Amino acid sequence: MDMKREYYEDVQLFKSGVVLFWSAALLLGLFTFPLYAPNYYIYLLNVIMVHVILAVGLNILVGSTGQISLGHAGFFAIGAYGTAMLMSTFHIPFVAAIIIAAFVAAFFGFILGLPALRLEGPYLAIASLGFGLTIMHIIGAMKIFGGRMGLKTPVLDLGIPQLGLSLPVTNDLQKYYLILIIAVIMVVGAVNILKTRVGRSFVAIRDSDIAAEVIGVNLTIYKTLAFAVSAFYAGIAGGLFGFILGFFDPFTFNMILSIMFLVMVVVGGLGTVSGSIMGATLITYLQYDLFKNIAEVPYFGKFMLYISDKWFTTVGLENFSSMAIGLIMIGIIIFEPLGMFGIWIRFKKYWMTWPF
Amino acid sequence: MDKKKLFVAMVVLAATVAWSGVSLAANPPGFDDNEIRIGQWGPQTGPAAPWGSVARGSKLLFDIVNEEGGINGRKIKYFIRDDMYNPAQTSAVVKELVERQGVFAFVGGVGSATGMAVKDYLAQNKIVWVGPSAADDNFIKPLNPYLFAVYPLYKDEASILAKYIVENLKSKKIAILYQNDAYGKDGLDGAKDRLATYRMQFVAEISVEPTEKDLGSQILRLKNSGADTVLMYVGPTTAAIALKTSANVGFKPQWVSSDTLSDYPLMFKITGGLWEGVITGAFGDIPTSTTNKYVVKYREAAKRLAPQERWGTFYMAGLLFADPIVDALKKAGRNLSTESLLKALNSVKGHQTLGPPVTWSEKQHQGTDSVMIQKCGPNGSYIELQGWTKNDLATWNK
Amino acid sequence: MPFGQLFVEGLAIGACYGLFATAVVIIYKTSEVVNFAQGEMAMFSTFVAFHILNFYGYPFWMAFLITMLFSIAMGVLIEFLFLRPAKHPTILGMIVITLGAEMFLMGLASWKWGAEQQFFALPINPSVTYEPIKGMIINNWSIAVLSVSSLIMLILFVFFKYTRLGTAMRATQQNKNAAKIMGIRTERVFSFAWGFSSLIGAIAGMFFASRATLDPAFMMEPFLRAFAAAVLGGLMSIPGVIIGGGLMGLIENYFGYIWPEWKPIVAFIVIVLVLCIKPSGLFAKHYVKKV
Repeated sequence: MDMKREYYEDVQLFKSGVVLFWSAALLLGLFTFPLYAPNYYIYLLNVIMVHVILAVGLNILVGSTGQISLGHAGFFAIGAYGTAMLMSTFHIPFVAAIIIAAFVAAFFGFILGLPALRLEGPYLAIASLGFGLTIMHIIGAMKIFGGRMGLKTPVLDLGIPQLGLSLPVTNDLQKYYLILIIAVIMVVGAVNILKTRVGRSFVAIRDSDIAAEVIGVNLTIYKTLAFAVSAFYAGIAGGLFGFILGFFDPFTFNMILSIMFLVMVVVGGLGTVSGSIMGATLITYLQYDLFKNIAEVPYFGKFMLYISDKWFTTVGLENFSSMAIGLIMIGIIIFEPLGMFGIWIRFKKYWMTWPF
Repeated sequence: MDKKKLFVAMVVLAATVAWSGVSLAANPPGFDDNEIRIGQWGPQTGPAAPWGSVARGSKLLFDIVNEEGGINGRKIKYFIRDDMYNPAQTSAVVKELVERQGVFAFVGGVGSATGMAVKDYLAQNKIVWVGPSAADDNFIKPLNPYLFAVYPLYKDEASILAKYIVENLKSKKIAILYQNDAYGKDGLDGAKDRLATYRMQFVAEISVEPTEKDLGSQILRLKNSGADTVLMYVGPTTAAIALKTSANVGFKPQWVSSDTLSDYPLMFKITGGLWEGVITGAFGDIPTSTTNKYVVKYREAAKRLAPQERWGTFYMAGLLFADPIVDALKKAGRNLSTESLLKALNSVKGHQTLGPPVTWSEKQHQGTDSVMIQKCGPNGSYIELQGWTKNDLATWNK
Repeated sequence: MPFGQLFVEGLAIGACYGLFATAVVIIYKTSEVVNFAQGEMAMFSTFVAFHILNFYGYPFWMAFLITMLFSIAMGVLIEFLFLRPAKHPTILGMIVITLGAEMFLMGLASWKWGAEQQFFALPINPSVTYEPIKGMIINNWSIAVLSVSSLIMLILFVFFKYTRLGTAMRATQQNKNAAKIMGIRTERVFSFAWGFSSLIGAIAGMFFASRATLDPAFMMEPFLRAFAAAVLGGLMSIPGVIIGGGLMGLIENYFGYIWPEWKPIVAFIVIVLVLCIKPSGLFAKHYVKKV
């Protein structure tokens, strides 16, 4: 089914008209989503899309290149702080600011990529973890970043207010369209990267770095490039995230966030763009919405309150949500090591070959 | 390649359809003839979950109000939402409450960053917010017409505590151990300003991360500075570690601490009794008081309505922060609107129940700067050292 | 600068990190999985001990024994229920499973015991102090943690070097399939490893809880430091790990004395620098990969 007969088949963006049709349908659905969705989901969707951008970028590093990072909250923070600072202090327009901030993040990604030339597995995990903590700490220690008090984002203006071309984006709905467009560009970009010489070099490094070097992949360039690219994605995502929140402090970008990013990528499916999208969506949804206010759920809430009273504490009942997320994560990996992408593939195969 | 063009065309088409066709629907109203909906966010899970009792304390207050027949014929429907102390989640839960449930006002809300994340949103949607459970300058300056603060600013409290240390404890060598965040820095600034008026300085200023579990080196710094009094602006766990570590290295200063650690039974328990003799500020009256009729009334009600809860300082704080809104809602009358509630809140003057007298006006929404000074006695009992004291160096009312 | 006192404090907390790091290493040594649930497993065991002490009022030694049995059972059970059923898991998949277990345990503990801090004491009085050399005050807690961790270290060293099970564990780590062919029941080896690791973690957890407070989140920070100490030591050798832990405690305390503000990250920076020079930690042989 997935047999490629010629090069162009491999590099084209959409494998078939069917894929194109469904991609377009999905996009049409997303663009018209606010027409039939309640308002309060728009904010959640904004957060999900930011996480999608980040997860797609992280997957280039973790899934396609085979490196591990527990420090992506650091790049996320650089993007958020960088964009806000460039706009409020240097009065640079939004589009330029977010791109510059993302390049700064990419530069730091390149720096983190240098020790990665020698480290792997848990050693790299600790090195990147230390990087994330250090970034958080340095930002907290510096007055110009607002220190521990946090930083308020300026008004998000797509135009150039100095020239009178003001196009302010104020409510969640306008932010939704802005983020959606950027997310589409970033996702299409990631698909494209993986189909180029660069992407194939990444995959070669993942499968065996020594073999890759033998066939002429420059490890120094491509490993650091993988870090830089994924940090770039994190920077863009961070820049947008800052505006979703409107206010953030260094603790917003803590280590738990880095770990959850990694979980998104693994649960979604390593090395696939669609997997990252599914993983980021699922994990974010679970964290923000699943089993919240469980005591208010009809029947089930009563039952849980009864159990809490009998064996546990009612004040801790909210923690049921965290238990459920843990079990769902475990369940997905146990039953499908490829993550949600694997489940999707199996479902598709079953559908296409039915009734055989 | 034409597929790509087609794709782009469809995206553009979808975008135009979407831009033109969508607009935000109005939020559902916050009250009707039978109920007024009030919400609060607070960490019920995650590392900050011990503060979650604030939100549950407010629940007790509204339960009592409903039991007494509600407000002008309306019952209060109260929502607690868990935000895990994460600003991104705070925004999500607040938007859910405002846009789906329809909430008239918010009370309490633990955390500076979490509050800052939703402050502007609430003001834009004209939703009243009373008694944030964090003291932050940014909540009151510049004036936010919808936000009413009860909690005395950490700066004021630190200033009053520093005055007490110098004048009543006659301490010459004072050190400070502060948490590396907005709360700790405010405490540091306030105390420094006060010491400057005496031409004094801290002999040591030591910061800790809120999550740190080993304070060996910090405590040795304090010990070597020769301090006889140490002011603390830290969380309960950090304070417990600090006291235990000090005992281990033979360092026994007079500990003075901010009001966030004024829950003596808890602190006495988790320090294994070392908390006895510690002096703290307090934002509320003594929880075991038998003279304050409000404390007695609510404490008795808690035994009946919320037997699973411990009657501690933070649980009581939930009632304290939410208390003024009940009064204002009663004054606003049956003909309720945001404007009438704002008018009632702006005319609150000297309202005193569980804490210091609270006064708000059109121009000033910080309700008080008074704190009490208390001391932990044997078995975590409370000893009042100094009644409600205003800060003569306060800057927020200038 | 009180060099002597800082040395005592750093070494004591370092021994605690080292002890906990051995728990991480035992699992890593057999299955190459970094167990992110380690901290929460220790937290849960400590809560069980707390529960037995406070709600049933048993004496400490009895609560300790029951907790040890419980922690072994929990370790074995988590491996059996969560990790074993996974088919062809990747290393990252395994890590996500342990993260899931972590969230599950933390949720369960908060549900059962609430989020408020609790008091947990070992039957030693930490306020009893000795001053063998002027300026070096050492207390009971430090003596207990140093002696217990040295003892466990010794037992583990002998165990891995000279017993059949220890050898089997090392063999399983080096090549699971070859070990299977040699007649080692690798599943059973995993069960043992998780049980052991959980037990040692529980002991370390009790030490941490008696120094700080007991709450559902209290092992998150020590776990990170222990993991870093294990990496510094090389993740493979037991003596290396305890030295890594000690170094961690000493670096943090000496630097933390000079620059308190940077104490939380200084150890990580040092570790990254060390890793740049010795990519497999201080005490592990660096295997050059063959193609």
